[in-house]
Amino acid sequence: MTRPRSRTLFFALALTLSGGALRAAPETAGTKTAKAKTKTAKAKAAAGAAPLAPAKIESLRQALMAPDEAAALDAAAALGSAGTSAARDPLVELLAAGATPVRAQSALDALAKLGDAHLLGKDPTATLEVLELYAGHRTPELRRRAIKVLGEISDPRAVPTLMERLGDAAPDVRASAAEALAGRGEIKAAPRMFALLKLGDAGVAAPLATIATPDLIPQIAELAGTIDDGIVASALGEYVKRADVPDKLRIDVLRTIGRLSGAAATTALVEYVASVPTKDDRPSKHEAQKLLDARGTNQ
Amino acid sequence: MRGSARTTGVGRALVAFGALGLAACATSPFQRAGNADDVAAAVARSQAPGPPSRSLVFLVLAGSGGPRLAAYDLGASKLLWTQPADVTTRVEAGTSVLVHGTQGLGGPGSPSNGAVVGRDIGTGAVLWQRAMQPKERLFGYAVDGDAVFLVVQTRGGPGRPTGALLALDARTGIERWHRELPSGRVAAPAARGGLLAVPLDSQYVLLFDAGSGTELGQALSTEEAATFVRALPEGIFYGSRGLFLLGRGTARGTRHSTGYLSARLPDFVRPVYWYDLYRPEQSEYSAIDRNRILWRITVDGDRPQFRDGLAFVHDYRFFFAFDVGSGALRWVYDSPNSDAVASADTGRAILFVTADGEIGGLDPITGARIYEAHLPGEVVRGATFDAEGFAPMGAAAASKPPDMLATLTAIIADPDQRFPALKLFAIEELGRQPGRAVTAKLIDIIGKEGLAPLAYQKAGEMLVARRDAGSLDLLAAALRMHADFAAKRSPPPVEILARAVGALGPLARSLAPDLAAHLRLPETSPAASAEIARALVAIGARGSLPALRDFLAVYRADTSYERDPTALVAAAEAVLKLGGPADRVLLLFLAEEPHTATGLRTHLVRALGDTAPRAGGPTPPTASAGE
Repeated sequence: MTRPRSRTLFFALALTLSGGALRAAPETAGTKTAKAKTKTAKAKAAAGAAPLAPAKIESLRQALMAPDEAAALDAAAALGSAGTSAARDPLVELLAAGATPVRAQSALDALAKLGDAHLLGKDPTATLEVLELYAGHRTPELRRRAIKVLGEISDPRAVPTLMERLGDAAPDVRASAAEALAGRGEIKAAPRMFALLKLGDAGVAAPLATIATPDLIPQIAELAGTIDDGIVASALGEYVKRADVPDKLRIDVLRTIGRLSGAAATTALVEYVASVPTKDDRPSKHEAQKLLDARGTNQ
Repeated sequence: MRGSARTTGVGRALVAFGALGLAACATSPFQRAGNADDVAAAVARSQAPGPPSRSLVFLVLAGSGGPRLAAYDLGASKLLWTQPADVTTRVEAGTSVLVHGTQGLGGPGSPSNGAVVGRDIGTGAVLWQRAMQPKERLFGYAVDGDAVFLVVQTRGGPGRPTGALLALDARTGIERWHRELPSGRVAAPAARGGLLAVPLDSQYVLLFDAGSGTELGQALSTEEAATFVRALPEGIFYGSRGLFLLGRGTARGTRHSTGYLSARLPDFVRPVYWYDLYRPEQSEYSAIDRNRILWRITVDGDRPQFRDGLAFVHDYRFFFAFDVGSGALRWVYDSPNSDAVASADTGRAILFVTADGEIGGLDPITGARIYEAHLPGEVVRGATFDAEGFAPMGAAAASKPPDMLATLTAIIADPDQRFPALKLFAIEELGRQPGRAVTAKLIDIIGKEGLAPLAYQKAGEMLVARRDAGSLDLLAAALRMHADFAAKRSPPPVEILARAVGALGPLARSLAPDLAAHLRLPETSPAASAEIARALVAIGARGSLPALRDFLAVYRADTSYERDPTALVAAAEAVLKLGGPADRVLLLFLAEEPHTATGLRTHLVRALGDTAPRAGGPTPPTASAGE
């Protein structure tokens, strides 16, 4: 997390200076051409076209670095849909060299898109370094986006930053970090997530349920009455949907949900019933339905 | 002719003016004001009291038992008597009688102007009452031996009010003599061994023979108002912002008089040496009893000195002893449970009574607790001590002086919001103390939430000024405590910690990684980032260049820095000062790149130009570069 990043900016600088993009004056005919090319590439990518060629990637890189903000945003979007891991470097380069918040956001979104498509490349070192920087940015939206991309990188070096951002002051950033850690199955994040749940942090309820061990479930249930019941219901509701939970335990948890007040508890039961395949006749499904019927009768 | 006529006119005017002046002089009641012989002779008539024989405190009680007056014997630690009483103005004790003010004899809300009550000191029984007439206003009283002296102002008609001095028999309340005062602008008297002193018209102190009411002399304070007179075994004093020992040298009192004293005290202390006796409301038990200076004097010839070179400050729950010459704090005592509603310096002990019925005594030299008694369940409104020279035998040696560090810290941490100036003083005083423990306390203080901004600033200044190289580990530990919502941990006060680190210079270089780590944390404010950058330069932290470069990269195009690029400029300056030629290239790039914050670009253009190598290296940009 605190490893040296001595070359981040120099790395970006070397790349940008070699292309000379950052010395470009306000929009020129060249950038207009790049803009037009960007739109084409974006359209192709959206249509599920073949990966962009290196020359086109280079063209988008230039647009990304050029003064024209709108063209840069288009270029970022096009790189996110480029269908090739070669699109990663220009985006990382932009972030490393620094950009306006809007441009940085679009670059992070594009990286997230590449991440969704598993196109963040084999050696993520530079990407990790840059994302760690933006995970500590003063703007919460940039942090949240950086966290999202970090979650897509399977490299274990991403974990400390994600763990650290579980303690972020911004709820959205905490929620993103929790989702990213849960998505990676980071069980060691459960105690911190539980600490947040105890503080009533709704954003960690579902992620915690994804990685919670059975011994944590009674502790979550005991939070009823101390925090919003809806948050407890959400956590337990997510937990019962997990395939690895024994059905007997599911029944106990569902009954706990049934005792909780509010629409979130009803929703958790409904969602559980809906999540079980029609042909699956497991006892917990009947129990959930029974609890729902009882809630309906009581109301 | 014309000139002669003019001379005559001017002459006439002067004669007329002179005549008026002479007429005024002829009728002035203060013709002998400042006459040293008169005052010296009057003071010589005043006899010092005999050796002390009592150790009493008179307690004005409230609460469920209703309004009462009680006498408590400090020596025997027992309550002597309690009487139902609605006490308004302070108790004054004489030889066998005590006097106090009360509501009108018709009770609260009656049209009467209140009354003076005389009680037997041994039982508290009422001996007499003297109701004030509707036109009379009581300014105060003094008791001397078997006589009580009242100063009263009377408004009889459309003219100015008049003042009068009355002597009553202390046992019967019967008037012995009555004397009109030359002015209606009067104040409460003081009496000592047959001599009465009455402040008048703010500047004068008139001296009377207590037996006959004959005027003996007039002291004149020429530089300070004389708002009080106070009788002590060591003499009679007058003054306001300082003290004049009444005598030949202070018959005409100036701050240069040998009989003048004032203590050097910190800013939070109100320079109240005694009550303003021109204000009758100050004769009641009130907040003024909880916030004032306690002092006693030793007299060498006509030259007074504060006893032991100390003055004591009672500030609600706290007592302080200060060296009167240097203003240095000698000790501080915290009465943790409730305000001390009354206090007195007996000469051998600082005595106090708290609102919840605790009676305490402190050693004047060390501040050690030397006396303690309790009146469980009582609510004390006020108290008057009649315990000259009282100090429990051997108690000072047995008790431990208060821990100054702990007490100052308790004052600072006290949630009571009434003492902002006192807290600032406590922080400053704490900062003056040596040792790692103090550095730790200051770090702790600046890390606390809810601290008043001024207190935070003061604590920060003290921490920075300490330059405590022996506490690097404490600073490092504080810097490592990053904010964490999950752990309910707030960010450390990085801005001040950075200044403290920077103030240490290269000695603190080992802290660079911990400091630089904050540049990449979202909770680090731009102001703190700027301080970090400056501190990294001050400690010569070349190893932190990557963090500085990263900071510049991430924020240099951030629009939020357009308005105030201070942090970016500081980081750029740090890179320029700590970095090498490659860093100049980086900064050149930032200066030319159009998205870089305008303020940073402008600064860089100038800074790179100012520091350009004479030969080789990148060419400094021009002012229009990148535009």
